[in-house]
Amino acid sequence: MEKKNMRSKVQAFGGFLTGMVIPNMGAFIAWGFITALFISTGWVPNENFSKLVGPMISYLLPLLLAYTGGKLVASERGGVAGAIGTFGLIVGADIPMFLGAMIMGPLSAYIVKKFDEMIEDRIPTGFEMVINNFSLGIIGLLLCLFSYSLIGPVILQANKAITVVIEGLVKTGYLPLLSVINEPAKVLFLNNVIDQGIYYPLGMQNTLEAGKSIYFMVASNPGPGLGLLLAYSLFGKGTSKKTAPGAIIIHFLGGIHEIYFPYVLMKPKLIISMILGGASGIFTFSLFNVGLVAGPSPGSIFAYLALTPKGNFIGVITGVLVATAVSFLVTSLILKSSKETEEEFEESVKKSKEMKQEGKGVLNSALEQNEVSNSPINFVAFACDAGLGSSAMGASAFRKRVEKEGLSIKVKNFAIEKVPEEADIIITHKSLLDRTSRAWPNKRIITIENFMKDKNIEKLLEELLEKKQKA
Amino acid sequence: MLKKMLENNINVVNEVSNWEEAIKIAATPLKEGGFIKEEYIDAMVENVVKNGPYVVIMPGLAIPHSRPEDGVLKTGMSLLKLKESVKFPEDKDVELLFVLAANDSNMHLQLISELTNLLMEDDAMEKLSSAKSKEEVLACIC
Repeated sequence: MEKKNMRSKVQAFGGFLTGMVIPNMGAFIAWGFITALFISTGWVPNENFSKLVGPMISYLLPLLLAYTGGKLVASERGGVAGAIGTFGLIVGADIPMFLGAMIMGPLSAYIVKKFDEMIEDRIPTGFEMVINNFSLGIIGLLLCLFSYSLIGPVILQANKAITVVIEGLVKTGYLPLLSVINEPAKVLFLNNVIDQGIYYPLGMQNTLEAGKSIYFMVASNPGPGLGLLLAYSLFGKGTSKKTAPGAIIIHFLGGIHEIYFPYVLMKPKLIISMILGGASGIFTFSLFNVGLVAGPSPGSIFAYLALTPKGNFIGVITGVLVATAVSFLVTSLILKSSKETEEEFEESVKKSKEMKQEGKGVLNSALEQNEVSNSPINFVAFACDAGLGSSAMGASAFRKRVEKEGLSIKVKNFAIEKVPEEADIIITHKSLLDRTSRAWPNKRIITIENFMKDKNIEKLLEELLEKKQKA
Repeated sequence: MLKKMLENNINVVNEVSNWEEAIKIAATPLKEGGFIKEEYIDAMVENVVKNGPYVVIMPGLAIPHSRPEDGVLKTGMSLLKLKESVKFPEDKDVELLFVLAANDSNMHLQLISELTNLLMEDDAMEKLSSAKSKEEVLACIC
């Protein structure tokens, strides 16, 4: 039982990350193309357009992640809370706050949700709008100030820690180990610190002596990212699979590594393949004893080849290819072994069809959400073990109330496993949630403790009445 | 129909030592009346052990039951009223047990529906819980 709980939690968490990233892939791709095209080292440099690059990656992308993440936790209101809370991080840090947004977004939403639950029954009628807006405003203000003051010192410490660790690793002389730090640091957007703060100075020193340096290549090899994206193109599912080929162009040819970060962020396990890919690349480079003459920026294959000194081509190309192959193989393995979450997620996408609904099915079971959604509710299923006792009582009681309110909604009782596909909502007892969410990972599940009279049933009834009024 | 069904199937007991015993006593009239086999009682207990105390459908009230194939001979319902409440798992206090045995969905749903009507009345639980004899309990059910 314990194990299964763990497993479904892990799955739901994976689904949650995916749910946060996938709806925003388009924004990442737009940014990736703008960057690859218009920055000064891009394909068609354009000073005006390149002004878009910074604000988009610093503000737009993290805010989108934060909004989506918040929304998954507590619908629209959660999304807004997530965006406000994350803004403090964004302004407080001088690096793009992706991971921060993915934490702060849902966290802010969660705090607002808890607050809402706390004051729920105490709002005097007629004051709902005022109280809701001001509570969100004030909590948002506090979250924003909190994250703003917290993030600066955190980043500073992270930078310091990374510098110390990398300097230690360089001293050991065994360079492939550097990947263990490089790859996570890259995904966390600390790549500038390590590249410009440590590797490039080391590289330049080397270049003075030897005319080339491997340090320019330890964190900028485009191979691992290429392998990851290739694996996604072949073995990914749905949106991530479809977007991966475009991302390859931006990453490998355009040298914008950031484009692959979301693919890692939605499946953090993949950091393993990035580390192994990076390490095998460094290993190959040092085996061939090759280097670059300057720091490649952006880290595209073209920049690599342009900066390769004569006689080093075979080593440099082999290093990139080996890194690609290793990361491709490991990523493929990981993707194949963890297909389930992705499938569940995609299925729920299909079912809900609306972007807004994404991931909610998986999440409902994890977060025990009873939030208001926009899809129509025509069929409410009460479920229990046999479908005869408590669910029959619950359905019978709820049906009477629904009829009294003049709602035309089907209410019926079933054994958990026999709930028909058409049911929009499953209501079950709290202690049967595990089994229900395993049987119906994509359905909205409401749990109750009292089949005759429960606050969650009251909430649902209100929601149904509201929907009727709107319609 | 509910009243007629329960007429001969009500027990009022001062107290029981545990919830398993409560289910057994509650189901005795059904067994004696030929509604269920002995094994159905075990299945009901097992159901609570396996699935948790979800049969406690509202505070103070449980509806022990299991599947038709676990030993139901004909659809029926019995009631046990405890003067001292007994604790179900997760510390749920129960003083009324309606044992359900379903074999025929029409009649079963009819009974369920009547029971639901009864329980949805605001003062139903109060009246039932203050009843002290079979007759008084039956009087609450109309």
